[in-house]
Amino acid sequence: MKERIIFGYDPFVIPFTLGVIFIMLYLGTGTVRILLTLTRKEALNLLNSIFSVKIFKTFKDILFDVLLHVKIFKRNILLGYMHASIAFGWFMLIFIGHIEVILYTPQRNGVIYYPVFFRYFVMETSQTLRGAFFFFLMDLFLLIVLSGIALAIYKRFRSVRLGMKRTTRLKTGDKIALWSLWMIFPLRLIAESFTADISGGSFLTSTINTLMGSLVESTVYMDTLWWAYSCALAIFLFALPFSRYMHIPTEILLIFLRNAGIKSSSSRDGFAESEIYSCSSCGICIDACPMSVVDKKSNYTSVYLLRKLRRRKEDSLFVAEQCLMCGKCVELCPVEIDSCRLKLLKKRENFPDQIFDYNYLSKKHPEFKSGINRPDREKVLYYAGCMTHLTPQIYTSLFNIMDKAQIDYSFMDRDGSICCGRPLILSGGERAAKELIKANSELILRANAGILLLSCPICFKVFKENYSLNGIKVMHHSQYINLLIKEGKIKLKKGDFSVVYHDPCDLGRGSDVYSEPREVISSAAVLKESSNLPAESICCGGSLASRRFSQSERESVTLHSLEKLNINNPEKLITACPLCLRSFSKFNKRETLDIAQLAEQQMI
Amino acid sequence: MEGDVLVIGGGAAGMETASRISDFNRNVILIEKEQELGGHILKWDRLFPDGIPASDVTKNLKESLGSTKVLLGCYITSIEKREDSNFFAQLNSGETIKCSSVIFATGFKLFPAQKKQEYGYGLYERVITNADLETRFKKGEGLGKDAPKRIGFVHCVGSRDEKICNNQCSKLCCITAVKQAIELKQLYPFAEIFCFYMDLRMYGRGYEDLYLEAQSKYEIRFIRGRVSEISQEQSGLVIVKAEDTLASRPLKITLDWVVLMAGIISERENDYLSQQLSLQLGEDGFIDSVDPIQKTNQTNIAGVFVTGSASGPKTLPEVINEARSTALSVNEYLNKIKNG
Ligand code: SF4
Ligand code: SF4
Ligand code: SF4
Repeated sequence: MKERIIFGYDPFVIPFTLGVIFIMLYLGTGTVRILLTLTRKEALNLLNSIFSVKIFKTFKDILFDVLLHVKIFKRNILLGYMHASIAFGWFMLIFIGHIEVILYTPQRNGVIYYPVFFRYFVMETSQTLRGAFFFFLMDLFLLIVLSGIALAIYKRFRSVRLGMKRTTRLKTGDKIALWSLWMIFPLRLIAESFTADISGGSFLTSTINTLMGSLVESTVYMDTLWWAYSCALAIFLFALPFSRYMHIPTEILLIFLRNAGIKSSSSRDGFAESEIYSCSSCGICIDACPMSVVDKKSNYTSVYLLRKLRRRKEDSLFVAEQCLMCGKCVELCPVEIDSCRLKLLKKRENFPDQIFDYNYLSKKHPEFKSGINRPDREKVLYYAGCMTHLTPQIYTSLFNIMDKAQIDYSFMDRDGSICCGRPLILSGGERAAKELIKANSELILRANAGILLLSCPICFKVFKENYSLNGIKVMHHSQYINLLIKEGKIKLKKGDFSVVYHDPCDLGRGSDVYSEPREVISSAAVLKESSNLPAESICCGGSLASRRFSQSERESVTLHSLEKLNINNPEKLITACPLCLRSFSKFNKRETLDIAQLAEQQMI
Repeated sequence: MEGDVLVIGGGAAGMETASRISDFNRNVILIEKEQELGGHILKWDRLFPDGIPASDVTKNLKESLGSTKVLLGCYITSIEKREDSNFFAQLNSGETIKCSSVIFATGFKLFPAQKKQEYGYGLYERVITNADLETRFKKGEGLGKDAPKRIGFVHCVGSRDEKICNNQCSKLCCITAVKQAIELKQLYPFAEIFCFYMDLRMYGRGYEDLYLEAQSKYEIRFIRGRVSEISQEQSGLVIVKAEDTLASRPLKITLDWVVLMAGIISERENDYLSQQLSLQLGEDGFIDSVDPIQKTNQTNIAGVFVTGSASGPKTLPEVINEARSTALSVNEYLNKIKNG
């Protein structure tokens, strides 16, 4: 293989070269800007993670997430193939292009446009056996990319086929980038086919070359096509920063930052910025989000919030306040964008801290008689919280179970309580919640118990994450009942009725408690599957987090969730959260019980 | 079996409608799913505003049934309207009824108070409903031999409450609470009685007087504010938390007994019948009238009428009056189809 054009230059490379220079500068400044916002400690962490074995994980993540899109594959094979074929295929085209340059025209190594337009500049010689291998590879990857593009075009018009009910609405920047991206590879195919008889080709390009017959002899056509190819690339590169495809380069940076353990601390800091730009607008979060069952609310799903944050729109707060904070979009996001955290930060930045007065906390401690002063800290301290106070059947059953198991316990908030603080945190009042957390911590530590037992997953999460309780074990009652069964303190008999279990958002996704409730239920009844995976359970609609959901909108969420839960026709629905119990029992035609009630009923 | 009119439901509405239509020498069939005629008032002791015994009313209603054919323990399993405007109803007993007109006097359901979970009905012994209290009155038990010291009435349980999906006012419970509070005070003169209300709807004649009397003569205290939750002390007494919205402060009070004024909701159990006949129901589940002012007892299907609480909460005198007007409308309709 040898050079066909003496200077290795032709004017058609100019648009592309400008595009590359533009995007390099843009990405360079962007990266530097983000890196500059890092604190000293974060910067050190980043360096540490680069110059250690952690870098292998980073490379692996980049390969799996950015190029192969493994997570999307898991959702839907076709959709995964679409993303992977374009990303990985394109990457391989560029990569092999560079290898070809290094092997055959080493003198052009480092010329930006050369690997991309290699086929234009070279001609076949008599010994092209080694080249033939690359010809084949290049054609193969081009075919793969083209198949991906074909799917993408198909998806735009028939998204349901790729497992998506809704797909994102496009902005102008997105549209330009999208159309140029669709154009790039077909143009490349035809351009390379035109030169295939000179520079060599394989099953695709050579075949098309032969099919085109005498047409290929026209240099006018040939030049026009290479120009068009270069222009399509240039348009894409120039449109890139203004389109969702920015996610491709940004995600690499995000992976570096994430693996260095960096987290966002404001809704627009460096890390947040890298998250915001990493969103590929894949739209997976739209279908995932329970808000989408209320038609107009699908506009408030995470992808649109990120878009608003990106454009610094004022109403991003309003959008953040819609979210039920169920965490499902975070669980499913292929880029692992923690959009819930961004929403919290957004709310926190706008929280009216001054208007609250917590003086009463020190004046009026709720009284509870703590019989607990045994040194061995065997005792259990139970905190119902406001939600369980509204569903007394839960603690009544739990107490009956504990009585039977002869457990020593006290009821911390029988006569009223200080709030656990999570509702405040969810509405952005992190600092205000500290007051409540302090007052509660004092009370709890004074009781000198070994276990703090909770029925409400909302409390459970905050006691686990935001309190430091000096080694007191924080347990949800589903875990505790399981423990009592394991220790042989209570025995359940397995009923012959079937049940389905709803994973409360804050217990499952929020606190990673999936197996204990299932173990308890399996020893009390026949457990049926719902139509969702445990980690994809749908919010019951009762969430405290949203300030913007009307009662009837909540009802639609509840009904949707119920429909999925009851898909296998269970006789009863079991949940482990007072809020879920309230939401579901309103509408469920079947019996709805808390796990404590079920355990009490089946106790022997 | 054949007849001119089939009346579904043997409560006050059904009985009165049936007897008035029989007065026109029509052939009326009345079916009742229970083994006894009377409906909800069977459980009631005395009726507001003057305390007339409910059993007297039932007795009078039964006596005037005349030639009506009464089928007890019967309900419809399926019903259809044929081309010739006749209705065919299949009963659980196996019998088929052919008739020219059907009247829904299917009544209402008392809100199942355990659904308002935060009030602990069914969980705490000393939390009862208005219906439970009437049953106790009827048996002469009252609230037991030991005179209670403090009793609370909670208004609007299951009514006017978006959270449990029922927005409408049940109309009867405010005055029922006043009546029951007075009765309790007469039984236990030293008890302190509280009524927790959102606002009091004393719209009927004599109601406002009764309310004033409850305050001045019986010293019943009315506290404006919705009860947020009820819990139980170890001793079995109940603690009620509410907000006194007139004094703007939270309130916590320990009571011996709490009576929940369970509201009136639609009897969803008959939805399959309305479906088979394509009757139009409101969002609240009550049957819609074609015209809410002049044709309150006609439904969207010719020949199907509705009377009493099946189309929304009503007091007894209203039910009786409406039953008579329904009888007139049905008679008119029957004349019309006979004359072509
Ligand atoms: S937030 Fe995640 S799931 Fe949603 S569109 Fe962006 S990348 Fe996709
Ligand atoms: S957290 Fe839940 S409600 Fe909020 S955007 Fe994500 S999926 Fe939707
Ligand atoms: S009548 Fe009174 S207690 Fe009954 S629903 Fe209406 S306002 Fe509430």
